[in-house]
Amino acid sequence: MIYEIKVNELAEEFGVHRNTIRNWINSGALPAQEGPGRRYQIQWEDYKRLCDKFGREPRIAPEPNNKTEAPSLPKNESALPSVRLGLKTNPLYSQPAMADICLTCGSCAGACPISGVDDLDPRKIIRMAFLGLDEELLASDWPWKCTMCGKCEVVCPMNVEILQLMRRIRSRRDRDKVPAAIQKGVVTCLEKGNNLGIPKDDFIILLKELGEELAESSCPGFVTPIDVRGARMLVTVNSKQPFAEPESLTWWWKIFHAAGESWTISSENWEGVNWGIYSGDYSAMRTMAERIIDNIERLNCTALLLPECGHAYYATRYALEHWFPESLNQFKIYTVFDLLLEYLQEKRITLSPVVHNKLVTFNDSCNYGRKSLKTFGHGYFEEARSLTQACCTKYVDLIPDREENYCCGAGGGAWASPFGAERVFHGRIKARQISESGAKLVITSCQNCKDQLEKSLNREFNLNIEVQFLWELVAKALVKPEEARQP
Amino acid sequence: MSDNTMSGAVMVVGGGISGMQAALDLADLGFLVYLVEKTGAIGGAMPQYNKVFPTNDCSMCIIAPKLVECGRHPNITIMTLSQVVDISGQAGDFTIRVRKYPRYVDTSKCIACGQCSAQCPKSVDDSFNSNIAKRKAIYIKYPQAVPLKYQIDPEACLRINQPGACGVCAEICPPGAINFDDQEHDHELRVGAVVMALGFQTFDPSKAKVWGHGIYPNVITSLQFERYLSPNGPTDGILTRPSDGEPVKKIAFLQCIGSRDKNRCNNEYCSSVCCMYAIKEAVMAKEVNPELEVSIFHMDMRTSGKEFDRYYERARSEYGVKFIRSRIHGVEPKGTKGDLRLHYISPQGKQIEEIVDLVVLSVGLETPDSMVKLAETIGIHMTPDRFASISAFMPVHTSRKGIFTCGAFNGPRDIPQSVIGGSAAAASVSSLLASARNTMTKTTPPSIELDVRLQEPRIGVFVCHCGTNIAGVIDVEELTAYAKTLPQVVHVARNLFTCAQDTQDLIVQQIRDNGLNRIVVAACTPRTHEPLFRKTLKSAGINEYLFEMANIRNQNAWVHNQEPETATRKAKDLVKMAVVKVATQTALKPLRIPITPSALIIGGGVAGMTAALNLAKQEFHIHLVEKTSQLGGNALHLFQTWNGEHVPRFLKELSEEVLNNPNIEVFYNSTVVEVAGHVGNFNTTIKTGTNRKQTIEHGATIITTGAKRYIPEEFEYGKIPKVVASIEFDKLHMHNETRVANGKSFVFIQCVGSRNKERPYCSKSCCTHSIQSAIKLKKEVPSRQIYILYREIRTYGQRERIYNQARELGIIFINYELHGPPKISREDTGVLVEVWDHVLHRPLEIKADMVILAAATLASPEAVELANMFKLPLNADGFFQEAHAKLRPMDFNVDGIFVAGLAHYPKPLEESISQALAAAAKAGRLLARKEIALEPNTALVDPERCDGCGLCIDVCPYLTIHLVTYQDDDGSVKKSVTINQALCKGCGICQGTCPKRGITISGFTYNQIEAQIDAALCTELTPEASL
Repeated sequence: MIYEIKVNELAEEFGVHRNTIRNWINSGALPAQEGPGRRYQIQWEDYKRLCDKFGREPRIAPEPNNKTEAPSLPKNESALPSVRLGLKTNPLYSQPAMADICLTCGSCAGACPISGVDDLDPRKIIRMAFLGLDEELLASDWPWKCTMCGKCEVVCPMNVEILQLMRRIRSRRDRDKVPAAIQKGVVTCLEKGNNLGIPKDDFIILLKELGEELAESSCPGFVTPIDVRGARMLVTVNSKQPFAEPESLTWWWKIFHAAGESWTISSENWEGVNWGIYSGDYSAMRTMAERIIDNIERLNCTALLLPECGHAYYATRYALEHWFPESLNQFKIYTVFDLLLEYLQEKRITLSPVVHNKLVTFNDSCNYGRKSLKTFGHGYFEEARSLTQACCTKYVDLIPDREENYCCGAGGGAWASPFGAERVFHGRIKARQISESGAKLVITSCQNCKDQLEKSLNREFNLNIEVQFLWELVAKALVKPEEARQP
Repeated sequence: MSDNTMSGAVMVVGGGISGMQAALDLADLGFLVYLVEKTGAIGGAMPQYNKVFPTNDCSMCIIAPKLVECGRHPNITIMTLSQVVDISGQAGDFTIRVRKYPRYVDTSKCIACGQCSAQCPKSVDDSFNSNIAKRKAIYIKYPQAVPLKYQIDPEACLRINQPGACGVCAEICPPGAINFDDQEHDHELRVGAVVMALGFQTFDPSKAKVWGHGIYPNVITSLQFERYLSPNGPTDGILTRPSDGEPVKKIAFLQCIGSRDKNRCNNEYCSSVCCMYAIKEAVMAKEVNPELEVSIFHMDMRTSGKEFDRYYERARSEYGVKFIRSRIHGVEPKGTKGDLRLHYISPQGKQIEEIVDLVVLSVGLETPDSMVKLAETIGIHMTPDRFASISAFMPVHTSRKGIFTCGAFNGPRDIPQSVIGGSAAAASVSSLLASARNTMTKTTPPSIELDVRLQEPRIGVFVCHCGTNIAGVIDVEELTAYAKTLPQVVHVARNLFTCAQDTQDLIVQQIRDNGLNRIVVAACTPRTHEPLFRKTLKSAGINEYLFEMANIRNQNAWVHNQEPETATRKAKDLVKMAVVKVATQTALKPLRIPITPSALIIGGGVAGMTAALNLAKQEFHIHLVEKTSQLGGNALHLFQTWNGEHVPRFLKELSEEVLNNPNIEVFYNSTVVEVAGHVGNFNTTIKTGTNRKQTIEHGATIITTGAKRYIPEEFEYGKIPKVVASIEFDKLHMHNETRVANGKSFVFIQCVGSRNKERPYCSKSCCTHSIQSAIKLKKEVPSRQIYILYREIRTYGQRERIYNQARELGIIFINYELHGPPKISREDTGVLVEVWDHVLHRPLEIKADMVILAAATLASPEAVELANMFKLPLNADGFFQEAHAKLRPMDFNVDGIFVAGLAHYPKPLEESISQALAAAAKAGRLLARKEIALEPNTALVDPERCDGCGLCIDVCPYLTIHLVTYQDDDGSVKKSVTINQALCKGCGICQGTCPKRGITISGFTYNQIEAQIDAALCTELTPEASL
């Protein structure tokens, strides 16, 4: 049976953009033939398959009066084999908080932006773990389509530890079944000290050259402090930056320069992110955290600055608190927010709010926000907003935000995972939030958010936005000391 | 303590429905009551509601008579704006310090004219209207408030906050009642007992941003929705979107806001009432606008009370309310126009987005912090859920002797349970202070009644606006003008609420001023309000039967609300008919008969024994009739209460106490075979075990005949020995029989025989019972696999804790629907259970070592016979039908008979005990009087006309007419009938049947009815028109 569809109608039905529908058609996800007047012709079965894939109830029903032609679909999902419940131990969960106390109320499923997509459903995953369907869970791709954003957990009336369960499933999966890019990043980091395997010499040359350029252009006398013993603060680096956009490193350096900070970068094991948390490899996670401690001890630092990336902070802090709790007495951990606020409060830097006159919003990172709030007792909500507003004149919040924020769609390693269509579909809510807010400059403190917003959603949903890290925003709003001193 | 130190006064703390009920019962039981209320007027939460479930009565209308009754009872002292500070002493002799906060208005002077409020320049949010409207800084809580006295809100008042400012109210107050210098002061009162009816507050949803309350105007609470729907509310009952006043087309109710939630709040318990009130609100909204789309998002619909499941089903099938089993995680705006977006997952696991106009948050009940603190100060224990800690066996006793508790302070509960609690507390106080009864009460001297026989009728007509209920439809001015033209009408007045207490005083004044001798009230229904107005006539010194009501609301304004003009015409006719009827009404004297101070209690289960013991301690004689050879009833099969208390021990102690009480006489192996007599003087014949018949004289009757259990016909019961009913299982479990001892896998199936087509009601206690058994099994051997297959888990109130505990222990709950019940078959040596999983959407197979069926509770089959003998109604399920589901939950319309326990409806032990105590309070209230006044609206025989044909004898439903033969003065033998006035209900069937006009009903004579018919048919009645 053939139906004619209009791209914009289908886009509205699925809550996505016209571009998304065209991409589905172009990629073959939705087989369709172009017809006259911007219409496409599709088979009902293909439409139904698309609905099933993205967890939607078909809006168009097959014509009932033509029974012979009506597609034969199972009445219910009884195609699934029946499950024999028995006396088995459930190794996937160890305590009631992980599954037993679930009321099956559906709050989590309703909150999750990709519930229903490929039958992913947090409530179902909890139930399966509870009923001992471990093998099916381990075989599924759900844990990697899930971005570990924690929205499900924040709405759960019974405080079921959904994320812990999800992490456990990830960690139990055979390593050769972990998405290749993530697994490769972890292995490379363990072998070479950073996710992308950048050799030490290349790294040192890059840092020095960048430092020299900076000294010439705007920070006279600047020298990149590599392996400086006795510096106050060890700065770790997200390997993506030296690899893909080295200039971006200098945003921080400018700020350090202005603030007169004593800091250093280690020439070895300088990786600031920790993909062990993505792959569920706890031993890798621990090793990476331990390297940071080694560097701090070697260089005799008293503070640690983590890259502006949600999971880097969350995973590192989690690992330090979990395996090296005594290290937390040894040095202070700074997030981007803590450090920038400290500079402002101590008047070590001055910002000019007029640099940006676009309408600006801040996109909360799940890791810095609700997940940190839950795990460490503090989420960086107000800090992010006060810093952003110190640099801009027009500011608007996304709805909802803070603890209730929606994930951009690329967290938890999803940016590096092979589930692109699901990631984009996940991001439809973020795209809608941004477009409803009217903001044209989106500030975010997470590499995944930035990539997703800037490189994916912006194009897919024609958002026409600019995306910046907070440090970039601050660096651009810096008032040079000599300017600040003038009346 | 010796008896003479006991005080005959009682303090009731909290003026809500539960406290009011306790106060009224106690005052009638012979105690002086101090009713302490922290706000400016009694009434509690009920006046805020629009209607009540499942009767759909107007809430204000049914509570108003009780407000007035409290207000004018000679033995109730209402203390408003007062709070208990401390309690010292002991049971029988407490000293209580009460702090009275300033009202700034002298209540002895205030005439509630309202000029102050009209002129007051300061407006603030009106908490009575749930902050959807404003009130002035000087205000009355609501129009029918008791006492109807203004009060000043010291936080809002300009003058109090800044001396020298404003003061306009003081300037204009006609009687000069304003006193800005009013001070708070403490006083001490001595009482014998205290009843804590502290009530509840609704959960504040704005605490969690996620619901959008306080952020998006179209997100409102259920209480706000009540105020929007209420015809007396600030919008006159018209519902529009708060954001823009546009029509509402789509509403979503979100359940469990502030209940069953450990995350957004710490209210782990279920609030018990929200499911029903949400259905009620949905139905009310649909009644006003059938086009409305209404969805209720929920986890389990907990409609376990009497007639609740039917109400739920009707909401679904007749009103088209949608019930969606999904808890909504949060509310988001769509666009900027006020639309709201809900995102949820369908039962089939698909994403659904709904855009609605209005979100109603079904907020839960909680104990205010101040009350928790008070409980701490006076030393009564609280539960982890912050309610008064009570034993299921002593459901109105706090941990401190002599201090009792009732209402929602005992755990979240609905109105009937609160009313029962109030009466139960009164009964418990009464048995404690029995020796001090009548030591402090006042009696009012009987008022002198005006003899009107020789007077021309001077009729007064009072037209009620009932807020906008009547005045919104009927042209009351026109009606008033018309009434003035009717013959013999000398005075007509209009009132906003004729039932309000101040209006009663006003009516008395007008009766005296105008020399009125007959009164017509054109208002609501005599069913709820006639007793109130009769008392008013009495206090004005005229016979209370010289009164007539014209029902221009229920039978007119409500049903013809679309046709105001014809409704006004009909109102005129109704008033005209009432006027002509009352014109020929004669004064009637109630029949006074002495009361036999004993009670017959039928059924020796826990309810029967509890009622017996309480009344015996109140020093009444009790005949307790038990059909078996053992006391205990259904409780003999129980092992523990929901909170784990040991039932057999309690039962043993209770039976012993009953048997040792000299005031209680127990008849074993006995049944009632014949009933005669009436309230105050019943003559009931019982057949005892030895087949001897014995007639008992008693003043009151309590029916506690219990219920029986359903013998399942489904799930291979009786065919597979490993499938057993829960009561059988309990016994096997207790003896650790091999099937249980060796069992590794157990499956409980809920709703076996309940909530189906044949029996559309919930058996109420089975969810709790099965979960308790499951927990016990699991704790004994943690490796056991235990499954509970349920339709809706109804662990209402604080029982939710055991549901949570069961899940924490790893007990697996699987939901099934009525149309997809589990399948049971034999497999090897065990049982195979097949069921569809509600989350995974696939079939599950469980190999069970035992299957336990939670079998329904059925009405006792003997109820039919008993109901026939006592002329009592049964509901469709065979349970005794109480007089009013809300406010008279243990009474019947037949006076002097009460019901408690399972005979009324399936319920857990503590609710049976509460109801039994409440029934005892009612019986005690009756027996405490020396004599009783019966309604004089009865049938009278005119011997001149009656020829003894006997047609009336056959039709009389109360078997009160008997044929007599007598010799007249001439010596000729004549036949006639006699009527037992005490038994006659005045139904009038005999009058209608009599071919000779030989019987008339007082107050409904042929003349009166004919006059009414004439008035209805003839349009010209006024003297002017007839000219």
